[in-house]
Formats: sequence, structure tokens, C-alpha cells
Amino acid sequence: MTGNRRVIALAACVVLAACAGILGLRRPTSAAFPHRAHVVAGVSCTRCHAKVFDGKADGKPVLHLPDDTACASCHAKPHDTRSCLGCHSSPTAVAAVIEARDHLKFDHARHAAPTSRNCMRCHIGVATGDSRLRPVMATCFKCHDDAASRDGRRCDGCHVNLADDHTLPATHLAHDGDWIREHGTRASSSGELCESCHRQSFCASCHGQTVPALPATLALGNPFQASVHRGGFVTRHALEARSDPGACATCHSPERCAECHVAKHVAGALRGSPHPAGWVGLAASDNRHGREARRDPASCAACHGGAGEALCVSCHAVGGVGGNPHPPGWSSRQPMSAMPCRLCHPVGTR
Amino acid sequence: MKLAVVAVGVLASAAGGAVGGAVGSAAADPLRLRADALTTTASPAGLLVLDAQAEPRSGLSAEAIVWMAGARELDDSASGDVLVMTLRGRTATGRASGQIGRFVSSLGALRVTHVDGGALRVRLPKRFDLEAVAGVPVQPGLATARSWDWYAGGRASRRLGEWGAIGLAYGQRRDDGQLASEELAGDAGFTLGKRSDLGARLAYDLANPGLAEVAVTASHRRKAVRTDLYAIHRASSHLLPATSLFSVLGDVPSERAGMLVTWRAAPRLDLIADAGARYIGAPSSRPSGEMSDGMTDMLGAELTGRARLRLDDRGTSALTGELRRSGVGDDTWTGVRGAARIALPRSFVAGVEAELVIPDVDRGHGTVWPWGLGSLAWARGDWQAAIAVEASASAEYTSRVDVLAQLSRRWSPR
Repeated sequence: MTGNRRVIALAACVVLAACAGILGLRRPTSAAFPHRAHVVAGVSCTRCHAKVFDGKADGKPVLHLPDDTACASCHAKPHDTRSCLGCHSSPTAVAAVIEARDHLKFDHARHAAPTSRNCMRCHIGVATGDSRLRPVMATCFKCHDDAASRDGRRCDGCHVNLADDHTLPATHLAHDGDWIREHGTRASSSGELCESCHRQSFCASCHGQTVPALPATLALGNPFQASVHRGGFVTRHALEARSDPGACATCHSPERCAECHVAKHVAGALRGSPHPAGWVGLAASDNRHGREARRDPASCAACHGGAGEALCVSCHAVGGVGGNPHPPGWSSRQPMSAMPCRLCHPVGTR
Repeated sequence: MKLAVVAVGVLASAAGGAVGGAVGSAAADPLRLRADALTTTASPAGLLVLDAQAEPRSGLSAEAIVWMAGARELDDSASGDVLVMTLRGRTATGRASGQIGRFVSSLGALRVTHVDGGALRVRLPKRFDLEAVAGVPVQPGLATARSWDWYAGGRASRRLGEWGAIGLAYGQRRDDGQLASEELAGDAGFTLGKRSDLGARLAYDLANPGLAEVAVTASHRRKAVRTDLYAIHRASSHLLPATSLFSVLGDVPSERAGMLVTWRAAPRLDLIADAGARYIGAPSSRPSGEMSDGMTDMLGAELTGRARLRLDDRGTSALTGELRRSGVGDDTWTGVRGAARIALPRSFVAGVEAELVIPDVDRGHGTVWPWGLGSLAWARGDWQAAIAVEASASAEYTSRVDVLAQLSRRWSPR
């Protein structure tokens, strides 16, 4: 038994070691550039990032990444012919700098005078390590304390086109957990905040009454596209609707169900009654329709709304076999002359 | 209806003018266009979506999405509609903002409503905000709206410093002149320290007095673990139009509550567990003279386990697997889902998605409902293309195979 446990433990270690790279547990082959070591050694930032305060080229701030020449000015004997940053920097560092330049309205040249060319005023992460050098937003707010922009959710003072870039904030508003279920509650009190990244087209792509196809359908090449009606929802939608009464009605009008069911010949003139035997009867055992109607009246209203309600009130009326449909204490602000009251209460009666 | 068509036309002109101005000027965010074409062997056979956005100058933006679809049936003609067409403006100080056109209105905890109309938001002193919306509820198809449909609502809210906001909203909708819904809604959102959030919403139906919907959610983050607690109460009879006979049947609320835990177990591995319960009650009150229908309380478990593994640091390639148990009473089912997205050379991406649903009760509609989709996508520069094969068996048909193809092109400033 003990031997078996050892074998299992050994196998687990082997599997974990084999998976370490896949899980991201293994240290990447090229580590972050040792900024701190250079600062401690007395190398000034601008000695390597020589073009950082040079302004713009082609309308964009100059990329200030040092080239091999800058490294070779000190490191006289590079050990091979490959680019220095290819190994001595994080694999995503260059892409991150380009991304930051494209997504932020920021110009190092304009910050040269206010900071007295002291890079550490903003890049305070250099003091503690090499992995997190880009200043966080709170650092910007130390000088740019623009409360009006923050309060007004006007992010475009610094951020470029958040809505199109799909930039996810790293420190706030992370859309993790079951965000599709949660977003409605969050958006209720913070709708304005949502609008700082999401345009109308984003909301309407699911909530619009004229949606031609859900985002997941249009993004057919991306199986990770979030969607409330994911995958084979059409297949299981009846089970989900019956298990969560009213869920459909929070977005869809009952007519939407009827339109689709008639179009697909699930109900309507081209198909007989979709109800099973025992749907309508006098005994409790063969009278399922009442139970189902109370459980999810929206599903009944999908087909029996409008003129179809006359069928219901032919039984459910005072003196009718179905009895008074109003529960005790029921009240409504509808006038008697309005539908559905006038089906049973002709104008002038009570 | 004619009013809606005219309004859309006017807005189209207005937005077009704004967009035209943007193209011609050194705009803050010039015109961005996108076209998506989707064709499938399923109905509708073809779909073209055109998307335009522009911000001619800071504080003024326009946005429009229109689509055209192929025939739904052999004897049906091609159709199309407007999804969004808005012109948005904001004062330089941000104290007032507004939009007109076709848009989705979400006022606090009121029901989201797609309208042709206008919206205004004003910031008042002492962190009070006022919002108002008025318009004609959108009906699919340009020729279906009635002559006396309208929706109007407002919300007053107050921001509580950096840590939250509370609001109270009122909305009324009339269909063909009759009161369809009238709701009073409250919402609140709080940030409790750096790690915890709390959100709540409540909607009360005034037309047919009673609670329509209540939702509360709380989350807490600690290191690599995020925990969410949630509870939802929903009464479907209050979500129906007040003009529906079914809104008088009585209040049969359903509830759902549970806890979701998201754990970043490794830098590239997320594990998610969701455990909850659904409850559908018996009617709280019974109509006088109503025959017994044997309705009883129903309780069901809602369990989901999911793992997601990113195969590279940026998550371009990823795998996910999910096991789910859902439903109440005779409508319970067990499902398995797996998906993969693998980046290939030359800007190609392969995707696979598969689901297996096993309903507890057969009902003669099959014991297993499989669904799968395999895709190959390509994206380079402003072009995107994808082709997919979707196959499934369901309660409706024993087998079905569809082919889908998509082509997209963006035009955006360099």
C-alpha cells in the first residue's frame, strides 16, 4: 500500500513537472530586463532610452526601446549575434510598449519638464523590482488630479478609444465570475461607468429588439465568445425556460416566442396542439395547464396572448367551469375598459 | 409607426452629417466602419451587418448599425432593420449629456428597453444625478409598431463618494395606448474596501402590484480566489405586459441563490465552481373557486464546474471543460461542454466546441442531445474570415448539419 502511494505521488510530481510550463508555473526562458540592477549601478535611464524625450514621429510618440548599439556601448563583448532584448527582456515587453503607445494619450516629451527628466517620479516600480514598470493609474492621479473627469467617467482624456480596443482593466471592474448573470445588477447602479468602455452597439447586440444574430453567432470562429444563449441553447431552451420562469420575459416579449415557434412549425396552424394529453380536464390529475400557467405564465402568453385570451376566459370566469381567475386580494390599476379586463367585464359592468 | 420611421430617417441624416463632418476634418476619432457578412445553410440564409462609428469632436459621437438578411422562407422577401442609430452629445464639463435616435435604455433596475427616442442625463450639485428617457418602444420590422406606443422613465441617483451609488427609477410603458408596464425600481452598488463589492436591484410592478424582480450579489477577492454570493427573486406574472390575461393568475415567484468561486489555480489555469439552488413556489394565494391542480413547491440544484486553461500568456490558444447539472422537477438535465481554440501559423485559428445534454426525463424527444461546432478562422489586418460546421441532434430533429461562413472588413484610421 505504501509502495502504491509512493508511485502515485511520484507520478503526480512527474505530471505536475510536465505541466508546469503549460500552467504557466515555470519561469519563462527570458526574464524581465534587469532595470533595477542598472539603476543601482548608476546607469541613467536616458543613456539607454535615448529617444524617450524626442517627441513624435509620424504622429505617434517615438518608441524609446534601446537597440543593441545602446547595450554594446557598455557591454563590450556580447556573447552572440542575437538581439539583446530577444533574451534579456520579457517576451511580451515590446508588444506591451507598442500597445501602451497605441492605447494611451501619453507623450514622454511633455512630461520631461514637469518631472525634471526624473523617470523615477512615475516609474516607481523600478525601486522594488523589474516586473511592473508601467505606472498604475493612481500614479497619474498624483499630479493629474482631475476629479471632474473621474466623476464624469470621461476616460478619453488619457485612454484612446476604450470601446474598440476591448482593453480590460487590470485592477478594477474585472469581468470575472459569472459576469453574464451579474452584469445587470452591477450596471443598474453603474450604467454610466459601463458606457466609458461599451457603446450602445454592445448593449443592443443582445438587448435590442431588432437583433439579427447574437454576438456568439457572428463570432463563429471564437468558441470563447461570451453569450447568454451559448452553444446548443436552442436544444435545451425549453428545459431552461421551465426551470427559470420569467427569465425569458426579462428580455423577450412573449410574441417573440410565438413568432419563432410558428416559423419552426412547433406551434400554430401548421402543427397540432403542442400540449400533451391531460393538459385540460376537470380532475387534478388531467389538468396540467393550470399548474404550468402559474409556474410560467409568460410561456402561455407566448401563444395565447391577444385575441387568444378569449379561449382562456371561456372557462376562467365567475360561474365558468374554471372559476374566478383572480387570486384573493388581487388588484390592478388597469381600467375596466382596457384589455384584458373587458374580456369578462364589458364596459359599464363590474 | 410613421413617426418612428421619420425619426430614424432624421437621425440617419443627422448621424450621417456628423459622420461626414468627421471624415472631412482632422477629427478626434474619425469614422470607423465595419461590415460583417454571414451566410449559413440555416435560415436566414444570409446576413449583412454594417456598423459605423465616429467622434467628430470631443463630446459628440454618432453610431449606427443596420442589417439586411436573406429570406427566412422561400416566399419571404429579404428583410432588414436598424439595431442602433444614435447621436450622442456631452457638454465640455460633462455636467449634461444626451442622445437621440434608436438605442437601448437602461435606467437603474428598470427593464432594459429598446427605444426610438431621446435620453438626457444631468449632474446636479452634491453628487446627485438625474436621468430621463422618452420614446417609442422598438418593434421588430419597420411596419409593426402601433400609433400610440410610448415609453417614458426617469431616475434620480446619488453617488456616494468613491464607494458606491444608489438610485430610484420610475418607468411607464404604453402599448397601443394601454398601460403595459409601470415599474418603480431601486438600485444600489457599493465597493467595500479594495476587495469586496455589493450590488442590489429591486423592481416593483405598480400596474399589477407586487415584486417583479429582486437581485442581490456580493463578491470578495482574496489573492487568487474570488467568491460571489448571489440571490435572485423573480415573479414572471409581473414581467408580463399588464394587458395580458396571464398577469392575473397569481404570484408564483421563483428564486435562485448560490455561491460561485473562481480560483486562479495557476497563472494560466482558472477553476470555477458554482453551487446553487432553484426554488419555484406554490401559488401564494389561490383564486376562489379554483379547482385543485396539484401544484407543489419545487426545489432543484444548480451545479457547475468549469476549468479553463490558457495555452499561452495572452490566452490566444485555450481549452475549457465544463460539467453542469441544472433544472427543477421534470426539467432537470446534465450537461458536458468542452471547447478549444488553437492558434495556427499564418494567422489561422482553429476552434472546436462540443456539448452533450442529457435530460432526466425523455418525453419521447431523445435521451441525449449532442451539439458541436468546428471552425477555422483567419484574421490579418482589417480582414477576418471564418468557416464553421455545426452539427446537432435535439428534441426538434434527430440530426442536423449546417455550414456557416463569415467575412468581415474594418475601415479605421491608422
